[in-house]
Amino acid sequence: MATGTLGTYSPSQSLERRHQQQKRTDFQEVDWARSDGRNFHQCRPAFLRTGAASSASGSAYAEFGSTKVIVSVFGPRESKKAMLYSDVGRLNCHVTYTTFSTPIRGQGFEHKEYSSMLHKALEGAIMLETFPKTTVDIFALVLESGGGDLPVIISCASLAIADAGIMMYDLVSAVSLSCFGKNMVIDPTSEEEACQDGSLMITYMPSRNEVTQFTLTGEWPTARINEAMELCLDACSKLADILRSCLKDNASELTA
Amino acid sequence: MSAGEENIATPGEILGDSSQFIAGKGTYLAPNGRNIHASLTGQRRLVPPPPDSAEKRLTVEVVGHKTRGAVPEPGVVVIARVTRVMARMASADIMCVESKAVKEKFTGIIRQQDVRATEIDKVDMYQSFRPGDIVKAEVLSLGDARAYYLSTAKNELGVVSAQSIAGATMVPISWTDMQCPSTGQVEKRKVAKVL
Repeated sequence: MATGTLGTYSPSQSLERRHQQQKRTDFQEVDWARSDGRNFHQCRPAFLRTGAASSASGSAYAEFGSTKVIVSVFGPRESKKAMLYSDVGRLNCHVTYTTFSTPIRGQGFEHKEYSSMLHKALEGAIMLETFPKTTVDIFALVLESGGGDLPVIISCASLAIADAGIMMYDLVSAVSLSCFGKNMVIDPTSEEEACQDGSLMITYMPSRNEVTQFTLTGEWPTARINEAMELCLDACSKLADILRSCLKDNASELTA
Repeated sequence: MSAGEENIATPGEILGDSSQFIAGKGTYLAPNGRNIHASLTGQRRLVPPPPDSAEKRLTVEVVGHKTRGAVPEPGVVVIARVTRVMARMASADIMCVESKAVKEKFTGIIRQQDVRATEIDKVDMYQSFRPGDIVKAEVLSLGDARAYYLSTAKNELGVVSAQSIAGATMVPISWTDMQCPSTGQVEKRKVAKVL
């Protein structure tokens, strides 16, 4: 008589999933090293240049770590005939991802809402009444998406608008912050963003001490939101100083 | 370069206090009424007040090093090219605003009553403009959604350059006539008196 053993089996997770879960528990620990060697409250070094696209009225290029964005501003130019008359100027924002910007080709199409978020962040800072009946077009192209895309897009766009000579109330700088349980990490990279519990993004006009956009997503322990906000606001002020010095350098290059 | 750098203002920078300065071009007064902020990137300049006014404060303004593209505003003189002539109005593409060329054209229209200052109901549009004429006009108003309203109702406004039917650039004879130099034919236009 053949004695067949009663077999049972337990499936085990694939190697990839086990690695991902290991990473998540790593992030929950008190001190883990970030992949690029920064500490939790350190932002990536910023490289900014205006005048990147010569055919546009104004343009800027920004590189924050591996996130690379180029923004061009056209205008003020005539609105389309179909648009109704308006006493104040119109702002038209468009954010596109190149197909090679993400590790997997064509993943950028998940961020369709970035165009309207960029619009909301900027419309409070531009003096629309100085160009009635006309439209300012802002086109942002993300060349490489290395995490924290929208804050980089917003800061770069405000630099491009200042380069185009359009009157603004103030420069807009934006910083995002990720929450991992008890830890708060500023300016996350894309792998940190994928494992985060919650995120906070603030766009801020430092000279006027006004916030133009406040975006809070995910799970947040309530007590930490205040602390996160202070961190972000401080980072935004420092980033705005960097934006200003970039504008001044490029302006003095032109006059010199 | 260091002296030049200190003078460059960026949008949002505080330029001074409203008790000492008046906000000029390229600046604005903060809502709290105390600070004057810059709204453009450029050189910071102080303009003394006119000598006969009671105002003691200097005007601070920011002169943009890269002024933004020109946009037609009421009261400025523009150069436009006529595209269509109809019974009661002529359509024109605005190409220059004051002395600056625009990057992309704006649309303007010249209505029958705005062609000249006298006998405005007897104006024949086809004897004032032809498609392809370059005219100097003044912006009356922002108009409607489709076009700015232009006027040529002054001596120095009107057709500046036009081509005859034969294809040569015509020479102005009077404020209503232009003559082709190659055929001698006289054509009617509303001619600008260019000094």
